Amino acid sequence: MADTATPPAGRAEPPPTLKAKDYKSKVKPIWCPGCGHFGVLSALTKALAYLQIGKEAHAIISGIGCSSRLPAYIDSFGFHGLHGRALPVATGLKAARPDLTVLVVGGDGDGFSIGGNHFLHACRRNMDMTYIVMDNEVYGMTKGQASPTTQPTWSHSKLTPHGTGVRRFQPAAIALAAGASFIARGFSGDPNRLTQLLVQAIGHPGFAFVHVLSPCQTFRPEQKAWKQQVHPCQLEPTTDAAHAAALIQRDDGMATGLLYAERLPVNQPRNEPDTTIAEIEAELLP
Amino acid sequence: MTNAHDPIDTIAELLAHALELEHESAARYEQLADSMEVHHNVTTAEQFRHLATLSHEHAATVEERAVGIELPRIPPWEYKWSCPGSPETDCLDHEPHYLMTRVEALHLALHNERRGYDFYAQVASGSNSPEVRALAARMAAEEADHIAMLRGWLADAEDLPPRQNDLDPPNVPA
Amino acid sequence: MPISKAPHEPIAIAFSGSGGSGAVTAGSILLAAAARAGHYGLMMRSAGPQIRGGESAALVRFGPRPIGCIGDRFDLLVGLDWGNHGRFRDEIPLGADSLILADPAAGPVPEPIVAEGVEIRQVPFLDLAGSVADGHMNMVGVGAAGALAGLPLDALVAAAGTALAGKGEAVVSAAQACIRLGHQIQDDAPPSRVGHGCGRWDLSGNEAAGLGALRGGVRFVAAYPITPASEMLEWLAPRLERLGGALLQAEDELASINMIIGSSFGGVPSLTATSGPGLSLMMEGVGLAIASETPVVVVNVQRGGPSTGIPTKSEQADLDLALYGCHGDAPHLVLAALGIADCVLTTAWAVRLAEHLQTAAIVLSDQAIGQSRAIIDPSPPFESPLRRIIPNGPEPDYQRYALTASGISPMRIPGCPGPSYTADGLEHDAAATPSSLAADHHCQLAKRHDKLARFDYGAHWAEIDGGGPGDAGSDAVGPSLCLICWGSAHGAVGEAAERLRDRGLAVKVVALRLIAPLQRDALRAAIGAALPLVIEQNASGQLFGWLRAEGALDGDAQSIARPGPLPLRPGEIVADVLAKTQL
Repeated sequence: MADTATPPAGRAEPPPTLKAKDYKSKVKPIWCPGCGHFGVLSALTKALAYLQIGKEAHAIISGIGCSSRLPAYIDSFGFHGLHGRALPVATGLKAARPDLTVLVVGGDGDGFSIGGNHFLHACRRNMDMTYIVMDNEVYGMTKGQASPTTQPTWSHSKLTPHGTGVRRFQPAAIALAAGASFIARGFSGDPNRLTQLLVQAIGHPGFAFVHVLSPCQTFRPEQKAWKQQVHPCQLEPTTDAAHAAALIQRDDGMATGLLYAERLPVNQPRNEPDTTIAEIEAELLP
Repeated sequence: MTNAHDPIDTIAELLAHALELEHESAARYEQLADSMEVHHNVTTAEQFRHLATLSHEHAATVEERAVGIELPRIPPWEYKWSCPGSPETDCLDHEPHYLMTRVEALHLALHNERRGYDFYAQVASGSNSPEVRALAARMAAEEADHIAMLRGWLADAEDLPPRQNDLDPPNVPA
Repeated sequence: MPISKAPHEPIAIAFSGSGGSGAVTAGSILLAAAARAGHYGLMMRSAGPQIRGGESAALVRFGPRPIGCIGDRFDLLVGLDWGNHGRFRDEIPLGADSLILADPAAGPVPEPIVAEGVEIRQVPFLDLAGSVADGHMNMVGVGAAGALAGLPLDALVAAAGTALAGKGEAVVSAAQACIRLGHQIQDDAPPSRVGHGCGRWDLSGNEAAGLGALRGGVRFVAAYPITPASEMLEWLAPRLERLGGALLQAEDELASINMIIGSSFGGVPSLTATSGPGLSLMMEGVGLAIASETPVVVVNVQRGGPSTGIPTKSEQADLDLALYGCHGDAPHLVLAALGIADCVLTTAWAVRLAEHLQTAAIVLSDQAIGQSRAIIDPSPPFESPLRRIIPNGPEPDYQRYALTASGISPMRIPGCPGPSYTADGLEHDAAATPSSLAADHHCQLAKRHDKLARFDYGAHWAEIDGGGPGDAGSDAVGPSLCLICWGSAHGAVGEAAERLRDRGLAVKVVALRLIAPLQRDALRAAIGAALPLVIEQNASGQLFGWLRAEGALDGDAQSIARPGPLPLRPGEIVADVLAKTQL
């Protein structure tokens, strides 16, 4: 993008010794001890270290919620924006700055409720970015309401005392139908496997969706059982969308691994200037 | 995908695992210490900070052993742990909690050290290299010392009060 | 007989028709011919709701001086047919001096028109067009209207050649033949009215705003289509690309505002354009830009409100939204373009101000400006030292929201090695760490307020015309008046002021370009001892309310506020002013 404010293009070459802990900022997370998001933070720093992505070579965009606090805990440029609107901010940033590695983080409410529309279109748009949703099937920050991924019968929220009665939002299925070119599921309790998925996601050219099951110890203590329930996806990751659709529809929601990845055209404006404003103004003469 | 039960047959690989184990352990205790501080659980924060210091010291010991040896750079997901994370971090049955007591912190650490011990013991019997078996056996013995130390601290802390209740409902931070 | 007007007076001509009669093309060609003949001009359009084939009208006014509004009455109406012409009764005001060209084949002239006492002249448009292979009635109308208005035949013919060039040689020749036929309507051809000037621009307000955006430095736009702003975006899309920038069509307005926040965060001056309903959706995003101090510009091409309102008509009723639409105390910039030509300056200035002051600028345009075309002098080059302040090198103690004397804190851009920060809509301290402490909130609120309040905006804040109370000299009758207006009202107010001065009144016009932060002291000085009258096109007197709230007006000030959809007219303003002041 032709602009004097843009620093030199190209990924900066950091010293080759960046370790995961170097990415952590001085700010101490406010997450409850035992929160699954610690595992995601750990995995993300390990992935950045594995790929040696310099601090100035990436930016982390988030919305509102417990998981959206993450950018402040990593020592790099970030934007803590509006509830549900992280993906458009990231889209604008990436469109203007293709040189940056853009990571987007948020929760299930932020991403699938108020942010649902942007999720659909980001999957379609297939710009090169990685979207990590930390799904704990609850709105933690506002005291424990049901989210779109909460079971319809969960009745522990005063807002929906009989449960929502509404069937769950299926993130992977919807991502696939909306055209996402990379869909993976991870578990915060297995940060090393999650690191691998994040490395693959960040390296994937296009929109990479990583659905992370990340238990909320405070409002969903029963999610402790996820540790026993998650299991590696039995089938090989596929590049066939119809096959992936069948796999994902049969999925119990607890299968981890790379579910679908395909090389699709990546959307990225890249225009070189070939005219001047004076020439444009000359066209206004009748 | 690496089979967790693939044997470790070189000193370098063993030390790389040992170093990762201690670094991860230290990082986890630091994280828990920070978390306890943020939640104003001062005594438990101090306990975790102390445990972190010990893990740093253990890591230094491993680094001394590794002087002059080029360690392989292993991607995080290829470590030969049998639990999802490194043995001293993620194989927890003891969940942290903002009200957890020093005693609970020590139990958590004890559990970690046992898993560390199990890892070295498994290498000590499963490796195809006698050198590696010998070193792993020594390191298992060191873990056993850590376990004994923790048991001693637990014994001293027996009559500390149990976990308190929080009389406030959950807050709405932002 | 030809239209009789004094040489300096503009002539207003309307074409109306339905079902593909080509009224709008006729108006466009007449406007272009007027430009070739050296005139300034303005063209507005009106249409029924049908996508095609509905009733449509082109309203053209041209003359030797810049045309600021569509005037009080039409001198000539070319009625290609009378299908549902009642729709246009309010928009094509006629009087006893008006001339109607009517085709007898189209049936009787509607009674409401006849009742105005107009002169009716029969012209067999259909027959004349039929005598030319592939001839069209509207081109005969162009020729006839051009002759009556004193436009040279060669200008009309050349304008048609350019306008229809894309349709092929046959179409162009047929059109030109029809123009010649129509031009012969006037046996005793009046002397040609030729203006002085060439090299003028022919553009719409939406295009002018787009140009202003580019001049200001915008290189990224994200937007969602909406009437009447879409043409600005369509004009910008290919031109941004050619300048190395880009336009992204977003899925909705919520995405649009957040996308430009992202691109601006990345260092690229960014803009979006919308109308009232879209701006309502964007207000949360505008607040985020203000709180995180991320520069953005939102152009609102106002239309009839509230809610879905009247999408194809103009009104100045979104000022309250622009001023007060953010929750919390969120000072920001509100500007309004004073007409089509002024869109270039106002938009460019808004971009530079937003960049320099790291805030959101809402630029108010409206449908009357945005979708009308004008012949104007090319805008002078825009020179301004205003830029985004970006620190040069890495500074170990960098604080994104540091408290400075000006209130502006340098903004690091992602990708620069060195300290980074996380921008936040949460209230924060100087280091950008979220904070709920009173001291931090008070300091940052003051910072965001003071950076705007302390800034010296220079002379662009208003266009002031008419000087002080002494201008009318000893002939002045009654107290001096100060007509205060904003946006598209400026054209009509300016004409009204001239007529009031002709009556001997001392009249000053203050047209605000920068509405927030209000330059209260400068406005009070401009008003002086004159009686202020605030003139605007909305029901509730929104600018009047703002000026009163800001302490810029005293108790004698009066509001002249009338809602859309019809444009303000000089004659009605004169009447209202006289009635309010009882002069």
